[in-house]
Amino acid sequence: MVRVMFRFDKETVDKPITSQVILEHSVPINILSAHMNQRGGEILAELDSRSAEKVIKAFREKGVTVDVRRLIEKDDELCVDCGGCVSICPMDALMFDEERSVILHEEKCNGVTCGLCVDACPQRALRLIG
Amino acid sequence: MESSGVKVAFKDVDVVTTGTFGAMCSSGAVINLGHADPPIKIEKAWINDVPVSHPGAAVDLFIGASQVSETEPFEYGGGHVITDLIRGKEVRLRATAPGTDCYPRTRLDVTLTKDDLNQFYLINFRNCYQRYACATNGTDEIIYTYMGKLLPHYRNANYSGSGELNPLINDPDYETIGLGTRIFLNGGVGYVIGEGTQHSPTTGFGNIMVKGDAKAMDPEFIRGASFTRYGTTLYNGIGIPIPVLNEGIVHKLAVRDEDIYTEVVDYGVPRRGRPTLRRVNYKELKSGRIDLNDRSVKVGPLSSVKKAQQVSEGLKSWIEDGWFFLTAPVERLPSDTVFKPMKQPKGAAFVENIVQEAVTCTEDEDIEVVAARLINRNANHVVVVDGDDKLAGIITSWDLTKSIADGGDGLGDYIVRDVHTASVNEPLETVSKRLAEHNISALPVIDGDRRVLGIVTSEDISKLVGGRALG
Repeated sequence: MVRVMFRFDKETVDKPITSQVILEHSVPINILSAHMNQRGGEILAELDSRSAEKVIKAFREKGVTVDVRRLIEKDDELCVDCGGCVSICPMDALMFDEERSVILHEEKCNGVTCGLCVDACPQRALRLIG
Repeated sequence: MESSGVKVAFKDVDVVTTGTFGAMCSSGAVINLGHADPPIKIEKAWINDVPVSHPGAAVDLFIGASQVSETEPFEYGGGHVITDLIRGKEVRLRATAPGTDCYPRTRLDVTLTKDDLNQFYLINFRNCYQRYACATNGTDEIIYTYMGKLLPHYRNANYSGSGELNPLINDPDYETIGLGTRIFLNGGVGYVIGEGTQHSPTTGFGNIMVKGDAKAMDPEFIRGASFTRYGTTLYNGIGIPIPVLNEGIVHKLAVRDEDIYTEVVDYGVPRRGRPTLRRVNYKELKSGRIDLNDRSVKVGPLSSVKKAQQVSEGLKSWIEDGWFFLTAPVERLPSDTVFKPMKQPKGAAFVENIVQEAVTCTEDEDIEVVAARLINRNANHVVVVDGDDKLAGIITSWDLTKSIADGGDGLGDYIVRDVHTASVNEPLETVSKRLAEHNISALPVIDGDRRVLGIVTSEDISKLVGGRALG
């Protein structure tokens, strides 16, 4: 399963894009949460790993911003680079760089399906998105 | 600094600055509020719902970093109150008092900033440990400790301390750091005011007591923090200048991460004497991986080396700018003391004190035979063992009754195989918590090879608690 965030703007929020993608590609999309109004909105959804790439491409072609990576957010103002999250992360998504700063490698992060790091942060600088 | 360069270093270097930045729970601040009209002699007080103590006369309060909020326990505490005040934020003080002839007021509710306080001094009674143990967890469950979140089965390890950058590791004999040493304390000027509590230089766990004017501190270097299911604390940044007085000091300043050893300790054993798995040095710790039980395990710090470097560099620039002066200690700190354990209090009890012989069976036994055994032994749980006496599962009298009612022809379907367990040396408080968390009434007691040694039941714990307090 892949968790993604679809972001709709003023133009795309009025169109039935999600149902179009489901019908055109015969793929399941599991909607976990959705927040919409006339100005835009976002849908957090779970995609089948086998069809995820196809679905993401289809949404993007229809003008929707698809965010696959920002699943954990790190507040750099709060973070003191202590590393309390580093040993916990099973994906090596939270690592030190050469200057001993803690870097979030979003492409490796499992996001909401894991979330082990969130309550390990003494500064509460890590937050799940969605 | 390589040892070959000792003479050169002694000639060319006057001062070496050191630094550390990490969680220091035994931190706190003394504040003086001034008098209200009518005046109050405070009995109980809270700042932002965090209880603060009133160790002195009418309007002096002590904010302990690890005191937690009554409305947001574990998330907000004294460390956060201190940080909020330093940031210039307004905090809400509530207080109650009995009311006396000279201090008639009985209630107080007021918002304050640091500018409203007469004195706001950080007084940290145990800071800057020269090293810490490295923590890991051998149990089956995640545990939350003051050494952070520890995954089960030794799947991670956490350490603390800045290693070769730490002030005390660079002056292990307390030749230059002593009472009256002027230091960098959280971005302001502070002083060493003595040995810290639990100072244990003979075992390599020395620490210091410090104080400094919190009004002048920089929020970049002092942060309240929350350790999930443990509580709140305060991250401090402490930098100490070490004057290069002789070649002996140069040798000591040459200490490197690979020279600083500490122990990897199993925090899954909630006892004073936790078992040590191995020795490890700070170079290995800072590499991010260590070997534990023949497996490579991720290891991470809880203190920031990056911030420690900023502390050390900040102090260096103060000295270079010509306004921060080094002081000679007024008195040396003890270098021969040891941290004693507490006199054993009454009422502590462990699994070994109440473990009972377990009623056991094997999976292939007849239901009737096992049921008869339960009745004879007046028990409610049967521990299922394999041929080597190792734990295979558990059956309750309820499960047995159900199997008879179902007319089942074997125990197999009724055995609970994912069993929570206890070990002989666990405190009963830990065991009670596990029973309650999983809503169960007994735990088989096993050894390291999963051999069954007995059983503890909530009934036996209750009897003990009923008989005498657990402390």
